[in-house]
Amino acid sequence: MTTAVAAPRRAGRPAGPPAGSRSNLRLLAHQVRYEQLSFWRNPQSAVFTFIFPVVFVVIMGALFGGIGKSSYFGGLSALQYYVPTIAALSVLGSCYGQLAVALAARRQAGILKRVRATPLPAWAYFAGLLAHCVLVSVIDIALIVLVGRLYGVPFPSHWLAIMLTLVLAAASFCALGVAVASVISNAEAAPAVAQLVLFPLMFISGTYLPIHSALLNGVSGWLPVRPFNEALTGPFAQHAGADWRDLAVLAAWGAVGAVVAVRRFRWDPRPE
Amino acid sequence: MPNAVEVSGLRKSYGQVHAVRDVGFTVGYGEIVALLGPNGAGKTTTLEILEGFRTRDDGTAEVLGYDPGERSSARELRERTGLVLQDVAVEPYLTVRETIARAAGYYRAPRGVTEVTGLAGLTGLERRKVRSLSGGQKRRLDLALGLIGNPALLYLDEPTTGFDPAARRDAWQLVRGLRAAGMTILLTTHDMDEAQALADRVVLLSGGVVVAAGEPAALGGRDAERTRISFRLPAGCTAADLPVSANSANSANSANSANSANGMVVVETGTPTQALHRLTDWAIRRGHVLAGLTVERPSLEDVYLELTRAGAPPAPERIMR
Repeated sequence: MTTAVAAPRRAGRPAGPPAGSRSNLRLLAHQVRYEQLSFWRNPQSAVFTFIFPVVFVVIMGALFGGIGKSSYFGGLSALQYYVPTIAALSVLGSCYGQLAVALAARRQAGILKRVRATPLPAWAYFAGLLAHCVLVSVIDIALIVLVGRLYGVPFPSHWLAIMLTLVLAAASFCALGVAVASVISNAEAAPAVAQLVLFPLMFISGTYLPIHSALLNGVSGWLPVRPFNEALTGPFAQHAGADWRDLAVLAAWGAVGAVVAVRRFRWDPRPE
Repeated sequence: MPNAVEVSGLRKSYGQVHAVRDVGFTVGYGEIVALLGPNGAGKTTTLEILEGFRTRDDGTAEVLGYDPGERSSARELRERTGLVLQDVAVEPYLTVRETIARAAGYYRAPRGVTEVTGLAGLTGLERRKVRSLSGGQKRRLDLALGLIGNPALLYLDEPTTGFDPAARRDAWQLVRGLRAAGMTILLTTHDMDEAQALADRVVLLSGGVVVAAGEPAALGGRDAERTRISFRLPAGCTAADLPVSANSANSANSANSANSANGMVVVETGTPTQALHRLTDWAIRRGHVLAGLTVERPSLEDVYLELTRAGAPPAPERIMR
C-alpha cells in the first residue's frame, strides 16, 4: 500500500462546483445508473419482476382466452380485462412490494447507513429509486401488452393517459412501499407484511376476478388498488381518457404514504 | 478553529440504559486519537453522535466547526468526513470499482477511484463482485469508501477487527500515512496494541465516562508507575533472604500469590536500576541463578484493566457497542 496522500482541505468551503440544478441532475443520473446496475446484476430481482407477470398473463390467456365480450367482465373480453389488471399488478409488485422488501433488507444489512454517511441528499436517493421503479414498470407493461397481443388483445390507443396513470401510480405505490419499509423494523418480516396488506386488497379490487358486489366495490373504490385498475382499464380497453377521480384517490394515497415515509423512515439498522 | 473535534458533557441514554454519561475530549487537527474501552463503555455511541447518526441528550459537540446534530449543515459535514463503521455494507452485486466509483459521484471533490483502490490495497480486485470478497477485503473496501471523499476527518470504528497480523500492520501503516498527510483520525478500539501503535492520545472510556486521557505512554500515570522485576526464587532461599526491601517483596508476593506458588517472586520498585544491581550482585556472589528474570513497566493493558475495573462506575447492563 502506498501512502502518497494529498493534504485535506482544512477550513472554509471546499473547492468544487456549487450545488445547482445541473449538478443535482447529474447526481440523479448517477444514482439512477448505479441503481439500474445493481438491479440487473441481481438475477433474483429480474426474474421476479418480469417473469411472474408474464407467466400470469399466459396462464390467464390459456384459461380464459376463448371467452369473448361478456357482462361478467364488464362488457370486455376476459383478456381485455386481465391485461390491464395484470399490468397494474406488475406495477404494484415492482413499486410497492419490491421496494418495501428491498429497503427493509438494505437497512438491515447496513447499506442505507453507508449511503447516509455520504453527502448524497435523501431526495436524490429516493428519486433514483422512483426513476428505477418507473422504468421497470414501463418494461413490465410493454411485455404484458405484447403477450396480450398474442392472445388477440389489440394494442391500447391512449398511450398518454396510460403514461400519466403509470407515473402517478408508480410514485404513489413507491411512497406506500417506503412507508411500509419505515414501519417494519425487521427485514425478515417485510415480505410477509407487504403481501399480507397487498393480497386481500388486490382480491377485493378485482385483480384476480371481477367483483360484482356493490358494497365491496364501494369500499375498494377508496383504497389504492381498484382506482389504479380502473385508471388503466379505461385507456387500455375502453378507449376512454384519464379517469381523474381514480387518479385523485391514487394521489391521495401516495401523499399519505409520503407523509408516513418522511416522518418514520430510518437509515440506521439499530433504532435509538 | 482550534480543534477538529470538541466534545464536552456528552450524555445519551437508551431508555434505562445510560450508554454515555459524561464524555468530554478534544481531537486536534492532524492528530490520531483513540477511544479505548471495553464493550459497553460508550465508544460507538459517542462516535455515532459525532457522525450524526444519533442525537445527544445533553452536552456540546463540534466537528470541523459544525454541530453534528444540526440537520441544515449535515450535508456539508458529510462532504468533509469519512467513516469506516463495523455495521455498514454495500450492494453485493456491484464490483469493487463500481462501488467506489458510485460513492465518488456523491462528493463534490472526491479522490481518484484508482488512487483510493490502491491506498486500500484492493488493486487487482477491481472487477470482483462485492459478494465474493473475503471479510478482510470487505473491510478494506469500507476503508476505500471512507477515503473516497477526501475527508479532513476520518472515523474508524475498530478498524482492524478480524484482520490477520500482516493485514493489521498494513492498515496501521496506511493510517499513519494518512495522518502524515494531514488527515485527522478518530478511532475506537479495544486493542491495546493498536492504541499504543497508532494513537497520539488515548481517551479511555468505561461505563460511559472518561476514566483517563493522555498519551499512551503516560496513560493513568503509567510513566510514573513502579517497575516490576520478576524471577524464580532460587532453591533454598526465602523471600526474606532477598537483598531488596522485604516490604516491596512482600507486597508483590501478596499481589501475585498465584505466581509465588510456583516459586516466582515479583519486586515492585521505583528505583529499578539500584534494585536490579543489588539483586544480581547478591545472586552472583552466592552463586544463585535468577531463572526467568524479567523487568517490565506496567503495560497499557495493565493500566486499562485497572482503570476500567476499579475507578469506573458500574457498566450498563445492556451491551451497547
